Amino acid sequence: MDLASESPSQSETLTGHSLIALTPIPTVLLDASLHILLVSASFLSLHNLAAEACIGVGVYELMGARGLGLDVASVQCAIETARSTKKVHAADAIQVKGHGTAAPRYWAVRAIPMFEKETLRYISIEFQETISDDQMQQANNQLDTNDTYRMLVQTVKDYAIFMLDTKGNVKTWNQGAALLKGYTAEEIIGKHFSTFYTREDLVAEKPRKEIEICLRDGKVEDESWRLRRDGSRFWANVILTSVYRNGVHIGFSKVTRDLTERKAAESRLVSAYEEAAKLKSEFLANMTHEIRTPMHGMLSALTLLTDTSLLPEQRELTGIIEESGNVLLDVINDILDWSKLSAGTFPINSDVINIPDVVSSVVRGSRPLLNHGVSIDVSSDPSLPTVVHGDPVRYRQVLNNLVSNAAKFTDSGSIRIRTYATKEDDLSYILQTEVTDTGIGISNPTSGSLFTPFTQFDTSATKRYKGTGLGLSISKTLAELMGGTIGFHANPQTRGSVFWFSVNVAKLPTTIPAAVLTKALASTTISPVDPRELLSEIAPSKRLLLAEDNLINQKVMVKMLRGLGFEHIHTALDGAQAVQLAKQHSLLLDVILMDISMPILDGMEATVEIRRAGVNIPIIALTANALEGDREIYLAKGMNGYVSKPVDRQKLADVLLRWLKCD
Amino acid sequence: MPGGEEHEEERSEEGSFVLDLGDGIDSLTFEQILEMDDDDERDFSKSIVFGFFEQAEQTFKKMDDALKAKDLKDLSSLGHFLKGSSATLGLTKVKDSCEKIQHYGQGKDEEGTTDVEDDELCLKRIKETLETVKEEYEEVEKVLKKFFAPPQGSG
Repeated sequence: MDLASESPSQSETLTGHSLIALTPIPTVLLDASLHILLVSASFLSLHNLAAEACIGVGVYELMGARGLGLDVASVQCAIETARSTKKVHAADAIQVKGHGTAAPRYWAVRAIPMFEKETLRYISIEFQETISDDQMQQANNQLDTNDTYRMLVQTVKDYAIFMLDTKGNVKTWNQGAALLKGYTAEEIIGKHFSTFYTREDLVAEKPRKEIEICLRDGKVEDESWRLRRDGSRFWANVILTSVYRNGVHIGFSKVTRDLTERKAAESRLVSAYEEAAKLKSEFLANMTHEIRTPMHGMLSALTLLTDTSLLPEQRELTGIIEESGNVLLDVINDILDWSKLSAGTFPINSDVINIPDVVSSVVRGSRPLLNHGVSIDVSSDPSLPTVVHGDPVRYRQVLNNLVSNAAKFTDSGSIRIRTYATKEDDLSYILQTEVTDTGIGISNPTSGSLFTPFTQFDTSATKRYKGTGLGLSISKTLAELMGGTIGFHANPQTRGSVFWFSVNVAKLPTTIPAAVLTKALASTTISPVDPRELLSEIAPSKRLLLAEDNLINQKVMVKMLRGLGFEHIHTALDGAQAVQLAKQHSLLLDVILMDISMPILDGMEATVEIRRAGVNIPIIALTANALEGDREIYLAKGMNGYVSKPVDRQKLADVLLRWLKCD
Repeated sequence: MPGGEEHEEERSEEGSFVLDLGDGIDSLTFEQILEMDDDDERDFSKSIVFGFFEQAEQTFKKMDDALKAKDLKDLSSLGHFLKGSSATLGLTKVKDSCEKIQHYGQGKDEEGTTDVEDDELCLKRIKETLETVKEEYEEVEKVLKKFFAPPQGSG
């Protein structure tokens, strides 16, 4: 590149003329009388003009006459300002009407006055297109920002908005602040903002702390009581923000809202809600009781009815009534549990859990639910002790729920229950319990909502499986209350599901020898034969101990048992006698019927004693306190079954059969 | 007892267990006892019912004594005791009253749900309930004695 060859032409073109002519910024150079001296090529091409048409023409004439769409007034303003101030004046955003249907365009105009010793010689006007409507908008905003904000802040009545200096003294005061706090600007400016704080907050040094936090975090928000000038209180939401200018801290802005009304509304809402929740749980408990009582009446009448000689068809129908009645009872109990759980009034007790006992009792209870040919297997990690500290009633409830679900959804195959410890330290275990079935399984999309209340796997119109949809949700809450979790995954080996839950249980200081489970857990299939017939076959060979302190009741029970076919009946009149007889005949006895309230030792104490002596004879509780929760407590104490008083013969027969058949 | 003769008539129609012994007795439960009789002589049920009369009278006496001694605990367990046998026989009203006595004796209200701190109040309630239960008892006693009475004449 030969620089020398270029320079002549450069020097030749470097004149005022070409400087203006060649600038890409559309430019017009005016003389002092505002006539056009020079025009840039970019200006000409922009407006599609010839240089001859412009030179010598007055600038306003050109712009007005040529219909260039330029806002003449704005241009004039720019020129006049530049001329009078002798400074460059830029006027942003001058709108240019589009030609025809073209969208309007926006221009920035810059008027550059050129003086020579106080005398105006030239004015150069440059036009620069601003790119978009948005930018235009922005420019507009910038123009008004300060004024707008000041005006807004001043006039806002619902918010107290004011500035504090770095020490926390009030610097500005708006109308909202005056209305809310009752001070006029004159009264408060210069005072410290802690004036607004209550005595308690001052004692707690809240203003100082807020300033500290605000300086550290840039912002602090607080909701508490504040004082008005007249000493009255209001519930305030306060946002304090640090304000910096050029990196120097210059103070704080403070926005205070009066939330007294909202707070009052909130507390009204809360108390209304609490009242409603209380009413709801009272209503539920009441209704549950009201429904349960006639249900029990109906079911016991039904038992008597099935005792009479019925045609096969009638027997089938009574069977249906009984089954539906039992389902209804389950539903009612579920709802009662749920209402307690959601009200947070569900106690978790600490007691002894005998894991094999609970498992075997659950297995027994689930047998009637099993579909034909489905078996239940139980296995337990041998390193896990049989007895741990926890809530046996709730542990049993969760397990029972999972097992009966498995039974409900398994048409063939088996259900496996496995217990093991996932974690152990000096004091506790995480007891993991797994229920594996070979049932219908659960598709992925539904598995997410499994533990949500009121949802069910099967929501099809032909809903095959009954229930409230509360069971798993109750189980989840219970597992969590016991320091564990609950979960589900598909059965990895075959079709079906694996439900598991964990429970945090404490170790017992000494371990008690494991109860023999195998006998109790032998699989049986459910027989359609009348249980009383079956019972009368096996009863004569069985030995039974009846502990009942009321002679009248004892006589009636003995008579009833004889009626069921029992020939060997021992009786005890109090708990201590029962313990003694149970120990004495531990090898001969097949079942114990135990009244709950008896003198000397009550039925529960006697059961604990008997179990402590290592006697594993099934014990069936007899009591008039027929509350659902009690049943769980008896089972947890080591009892195996429960019959409520006055004793219904059919129920007694069912329970006895269940506990005698497996030998 | 205006309904007495009707009872006899219904019973004479044997087989159908439609018994109405008044609202103090739950017929379903009572019939269960009757069904335990080996024959029509009603030996068993009669012995039970008359055994109950004896037990009830003894218990009421014990309750009177315990009331004098202001022994709430004893009153409660006596209430529970008689509740058990009256429930077995289906003597609903007697059973309910005994249950109340049981609860009052535990320092609770009638339902056994709320604590009542005032012992004197509990004793007062027991006293009232004891009077009621004695009346209720006398009523069922009459009905049952009539029921078990040997058939008179042609009926």
